[in-house]
Amino acid sequence: MVDRRRLSPATVVVLALLTAAAVYFLLPVAWVLIAATKSSADLFGTFGLWSPDPQLGANLGRLFGAEDGLFGRWILNSFLYAGVSALIATLLSAGAGYAMAKYPFRGRELLFNLVLAGVLVPATVLALPTYLIFSEVGLTGTFWSVLLPSIVSPFGVYLARIQAHAAIPDALLEAARLDGAGEYRIFFRIAVRVMSPALVTIFLFQFIGVWNNYFLPLVMLSDQRLYPVTLGLAQWNSQTFRDPAFFELTVTGAAVSALLLVLTMASLQRFWRAGLTAGSVKE
Amino acid sequence: MGSRIRTAAGALAAAAALGLAAACGGGGGEEPAKSAAAASGDPANPVELTFWSWVPNIQKAVDAFNAKHPGIKVKLETITPGPDGGYAKMLAGVKAGNAPDVAQVGYDSLPSFLVNGALEDITQYAEKDAAKFVDWQWQTGVFGGKVYSIPQASGPMAFYYRKDLFDKWGIEAPKTWDDFAAAAKTIREKDDSAYISTFAANQAPWMIALAQQAGQQWFSTEGDAWKVTIDNPDTRRMAGFWQKMLDDKLVKTEADMSNGWYKDLQTGDIAGWIGGSWGDAIIRGNAPKTSGKWAVAPMPQWPGAAKFASASWGGGSASAVLKGTDHPAEATAFAVWLTSDPESVNILLSAGYGWPSIKDTSRIPNLQQDDTVFPFYGGQNIWDVFKEADAAVGLDWRWPPVSDALYSTLTDNAKAAVEGDGTLADAFAKTQTAMVEQLKAKGLNVVATGG
Amino acid sequence: MAGTTGTRTTGAAGARETPPGGASGRPRRAAHTRSRARRGPRLHVAVFVAPFFVAFSLFFIAPICYALYESFFTLQSSGLGLTEPTIEFSGLANYATALSSPAFVGSLGRVLVFAAIEVPIMVVSALALALLLDSARARWRAFFRVSFFLPYGVPGVVASLLWGFLYVPQTSPLIDILSAVGLPHDFLGPGTILFSIANIATWQFAGYNMLVLIAGLQAIPQELYEAARVDGASELRIAWHVKIPMVRAPIILITVFTLIGTLQLFVEPLILKPLTTAINSDFTPNLAAYNQAFGQSNINLASAEATIIAIISFVVSFGFLRVVNRKGNRAW
Repeated sequence: MVDRRRLSPATVVVLALLTAAAVYFLLPVAWVLIAATKSSADLFGTFGLWSPDPQLGANLGRLFGAEDGLFGRWILNSFLYAGVSALIATLLSAGAGYAMAKYPFRGRELLFNLVLAGVLVPATVLALPTYLIFSEVGLTGTFWSVLLPSIVSPFGVYLARIQAHAAIPDALLEAARLDGAGEYRIFFRIAVRVMSPALVTIFLFQFIGVWNNYFLPLVMLSDQRLYPVTLGLAQWNSQTFRDPAFFELTVTGAAVSALLLVLTMASLQRFWRAGLTAGSVKE
Repeated sequence: MGSRIRTAAGALAAAAALGLAAACGGGGGEEPAKSAAAASGDPANPVELTFWSWVPNIQKAVDAFNAKHPGIKVKLETITPGPDGGYAKMLAGVKAGNAPDVAQVGYDSLPSFLVNGALEDITQYAEKDAAKFVDWQWQTGVFGGKVYSIPQASGPMAFYYRKDLFDKWGIEAPKTWDDFAAAAKTIREKDDSAYISTFAANQAPWMIALAQQAGQQWFSTEGDAWKVTIDNPDTRRMAGFWQKMLDDKLVKTEADMSNGWYKDLQTGDIAGWIGGSWGDAIIRGNAPKTSGKWAVAPMPQWPGAAKFASASWGGGSASAVLKGTDHPAEATAFAVWLTSDPESVNILLSAGYGWPSIKDTSRIPNLQQDDTVFPFYGGQNIWDVFKEADAAVGLDWRWPPVSDALYSTLTDNAKAAVEGDGTLADAFAKTQTAMVEQLKAKGLNVVATGG
Repeated sequence: MAGTTGTRTTGAAGARETPPGGASGRPRRAAHTRSRARRGPRLHVAVFVAPFFVAFSLFFIAPICYALYESFFTLQSSGLGLTEPTIEFSGLANYATALSSPAFVGSLGRVLVFAAIEVPIMVVSALALALLLDSARARWRAFFRVSFFLPYGVPGVVASLLWGFLYVPQTSPLIDILSAVGLPHDFLGPGTILFSIANIATWQFAGYNMLVLIAGLQAIPQELYEAARVDGASELRIAWHVKIPMVRAPIILITVFTLIGTLQLFVEPLILKPLTTAINSDFTPNLAAYNQAFGQSNINLASAEATIIAIISFVVSFGFLRVVNRKGNRAW
């Protein structure tokens, strides 16, 4: 660590730069949090970073009370969609990435390039074809219609492959095989552990990606009670044209959902650190 | 990789073709043996209908319907507004064979639904109810003599203005567009930061309503061809008027219903708005501190007009019965009840769905006395103004089957004009050309004549 | 595949890879000659790979093929359009329509300009943030890391509200401050709109890209730094000569992803469009395709436009990779 008694000039410069960056990234977030305490009228009428007449309690009460507690359901749905699909996506990516890094097999590079090419297709336009395919099998409008497409993370496969190649020494696998461990056991006991920093990253990215996904639920779902929070908020936002009271709901809801996401990230951060140390066990 | 994709594509194409065939076949499968009399359903075995809408709090009206009609059970699903994806979803649903029975569709979008083959012919169930509804609103759902939808509500336009400020500046609500220009000039002279209104180039339905009020319509049919007359003398006169307002800097150019505009409503920097009847909630909700200071006047008139003329913002909304429903009779019965029963209309009115489509509004309590609305406008019964406006909407206005393209092309061109790239008149002329191309691209017959 | 490994084998990891006393550099063959591995390498590889690829085929490839298929058809009406439309095979007509539309072609040019602005800004700022956080001088790393990453977690709807308020003069505290000190502050004019969009994109994704780089930085064996420090190298020199070369692959990765992201620019202009006259409905190719699919219900033309976008993304990103790879190790 750095010298604790006094800050060297270099440390001051680094910290100043980091702080400036933090202000840039956090200021708009602060705006949302402040806006969450305002009435619709104050939202447009008062200075953005100050709330002269805070009514957070009233806003929260209305938020969670609106339409029989719909907002609470949306939050739960989002956690379910994002959590479950990110977990499965991480597992699938880990398996595919690990196998592609550690076992040479015919067609490996072809498959890998196919995965990378998959990233290039604009997702917004894929939503409608996916809807039409899903309605053939009667999946539209269900929980599964949002969950299933979200378990695929081409980027996750890429990251897992890089990580497996870089961090898992072949010698380690050799040693495990000599000890009589099976391939599956090696994967779950050794590979997953060594790859864990990358896996936490994949999980985090996919979690947020699914949490923020708007188009897929938009085309798939029609029952409000199945909506994730982004779609629900978008819907409320579109109703502000007829009833401005929805501004309060939308902004307060946005703040709450952002806050929950921060808490989730912060808690994952712990695993992340644990993952990093697990990764360094290899030393 | 190539061959694999080809195989997969082939398989999918086959699957898709089968699916489409099934979807098309499914719609006509059931014979419409039920007569209109059976539309009340059997309480022991109620008919289930799905209804898609984006009107806030419309659930209350649906509940009221279900309570009174034990033989029909309507399930409401609140969807994203049509232009934000709701329509795409309905059309995809029709294509896939799982669309709702009844859906909210804007008057402006009914023709494109029809061209996409997404509407059910409900003439035999609906004809008898035609007399309940305002003529021009009813006609929006009639094509080639057949009925496809039941009107819900419109957005007749009037001029909202800050009466207190107008009094202070010594001006009256403008009766003609010349008055409007003069008032705008006075306001600029008396107050540095205030404007009479904004020219909302972002708002195609608004600009279209201005053209609609000016006289000659934009779309009509001639034989089996569409006739496009956007670039006509009346529209050019309207464009010229607003171009002069822009050139003389007498109006703001910010987007309406945007953050900046909301703030300007509060401060009085925007002192007026030519808006739809549902706009009252927007002003009340966003500028509550200006309560009592507003008033509503009829839309300014063009000099020499034969009779009082108004327009409707984006037309309005209908309850359309979508293709593929198994219960067209019940669906129609629901759609008619929803927007003609006084109890339901009163609920919808307070939900902000717009101006009722029924002729007889004398039994709607909220239109006679509304203690949340009238005090905000200094005690004025603003609904009288809108009732008169709705009655003065032209009967012969037709929406084209390409309204979305019309909206985006018109806003794009008008935005360019506001940025100084050409004039507003050019913007309408360019829009005319683009619309003719759009219709032709769909395979429709077009006779193009600029007026 | 990974440039990381190409260079990293010279480090500590490489040393470990040599099996004790074995034929160096050929551990895999040794493994495969063992009887148990020979019994079922195919099966366990399939078990690892198949679940992903089944899902990938169903939820990625299939819709892509479906979109491709749709792009060769046109919905044709006739007369007034009162009768049901027919679906007709039209070959490449949709592609011709898209490529002969000045608006669509113009939007392609616009995103190329945007990429030239945004890619360098994004890569440099993500790299700078990652290096700052990774520097030995940094403190409160967890706090900063989460702060930088936070905007990525702000959903599009919220970002729309947010920047809507921050870019509009009447409601923006930012503009209040800028005009107080006399700086220019027209965020939504035709001349500045691309930069305003670049700002939102940077705000949202710099933290994400930073994390990718940090993951790369943390994989660098500590011994390398210690060796450099023993040699008396400053933090800056270590960053420039040790760290940056070691994260070459992740840098290329985020460059490619940013490139793809900018070519497919969509959410930000969609968000800002209602607020400014400088953005029209064909502002970017993806916005044009969205407009066709969702606004005008022309799935066929939208599919053709999406295919064109994908092909251009493919050509540009793989072209970039070719150029980069010619200069050094393969990035993947």
